[in-house]
Amino acid sequence: MEPRGVPPYLSDPAATRPSPNCPDRPADPAATLALRPFVITAGRVIGDDTRMGFETQVSALPGARPARLTPEANAIIAICQRPISVAEVSARLRLHFGVTKILIGDLHSAGHIIIHAVDDESPDPDTILRVIHGLRAIF
Amino acid sequence: MDFVPSSDRALATTYDAHLMRRQTPSAPIPIKIIIAGGFGVGKTTTVGAISEISPLTTEAEMTSASVGIDDPGPTSAKSTTTVAMDFGCVTIDQTLKLYLFGTPGQSRFAFMWDELIRGAVGALVIADSNRLNDCYASIDYFERADMPFAVGVNAFDGHLAHDLDEIRWALAINENIPVLRFDARDRVSVRDALLVVLERALDHAVRRKPIRGDAGPVHMGLP
Ligand SMILES: Nc1nc2c(ncn2[C@@H]2O[C@H](COP(=O)(O)OP(=O)(O)OP(=O)(O)O)[C@@H](O)[C@H]2O)c(=O)[nH]1
Ligand SMILES: [Mg+2]
Repeated sequence: MEPRGVPPYLSDPAATRPSPNCPDRPADPAATLALRPFVITAGRVIGDDTRMGFETQVSALPGARPARLTPEANAIIAICQRPISVAEVSARLRLHFGVTKILIGDLHSAGHIIIHAVDDESPDPDTILRVIHGLRAIF
Repeated sequence: MDFVPSSDRALATTYDAHLMRRQTPSAPIPIKIIIAGGFGVGKTTTVGAISEISPLTTEAEMTSASVGIDDPGPTSAKSTTTVAMDFGCVTIDQTLKLYLFGTPGQSRFAFMWDELIRGAVGALVIADSNRLNDCYASIDYFERADMPFAVGVNAFDGHLAHDLDEIRWALAINENIPVLRFDARDRVSVRDALLVVLERALDHAVRRKPIRGDAGPVHMGLP
């Protein structure tokens, strides 16, 4: 998969956006994140990026301590300390799903986030059997 | 061991590289089941009954066709709609996580489903026995998409307006598609409904690719 272009504020620590209006953690992340989808993605829209589905797992690279990023990027890295689905990142940060995919794609290109793509589109019988046995055992 | 004095920065970099080698995280395989059905039929209730987290919502921009999927004429206008999707999850073990996505079932969302069902193992179509019409679009869609599914009739307060045979007849669905009664508020009942979907999914997957492991007998009535 061709990596997308890395926005300058992600690739170059020196080019970090000025921080006064852009603290690492907004006072009310939910309110801030929800309102600015097009600002957040610099006006880009989803391309044909099919790597990420709703359930696709993503995680921050351990040890990756990026230079100051946008509040959204920081929030994503913070929430991705354990593997988590793209849908859950979107829901918990109250970011539009499409916006979430773009931001995660950028963080992936910049080497901060792993996208755990699943090779096979449809799960194989053995995996489904494990889910069946697991569900029976859980409840 | 040699210790070469170095700047904090270089030390940090070495340490990071070390961490990265040791702890590149492995993630569970996500298994996705779609929970479909008309408005107010109990989709969110179903997800919430079994999910280990209370249902979350993601809003996705989807292309939708403004005509029914039965009539996708060449002039069918497409538009973009924001759709709210509820989801929850059940951790099976460290390597497997089940995701349930509750999705609006109207036919104009057919295009959204194409993205949503990619990689899904199967679907539970929830029906209200008083409003069977509302689930036609879902059934039609999953049949065409060759997606394994079962129809779960949500027994609101234990009451079904029709018995299961009548419902099957009214829905005019294939003999081998399970129609079952369940209670969207009951965890075990939802679990059992999902197991029926998963058995359909297993049947479907075995047809494509035989079982490799020693996972025990499978009685799926294969031809
Ligand atoms: N009495 C009773 N109420 C139910 C049952 N299942 C769902 N409900 C109620 O019916 C209403 C709709 O259920 P939801 O789970 O929100 O349905 P939904 O399909 O997610 O609805 P939309 O997302 O709006 O399409 C809620 O008030 C539920 O509490 C049931 O089995 N019995
Ligand atoms: Mg709902």
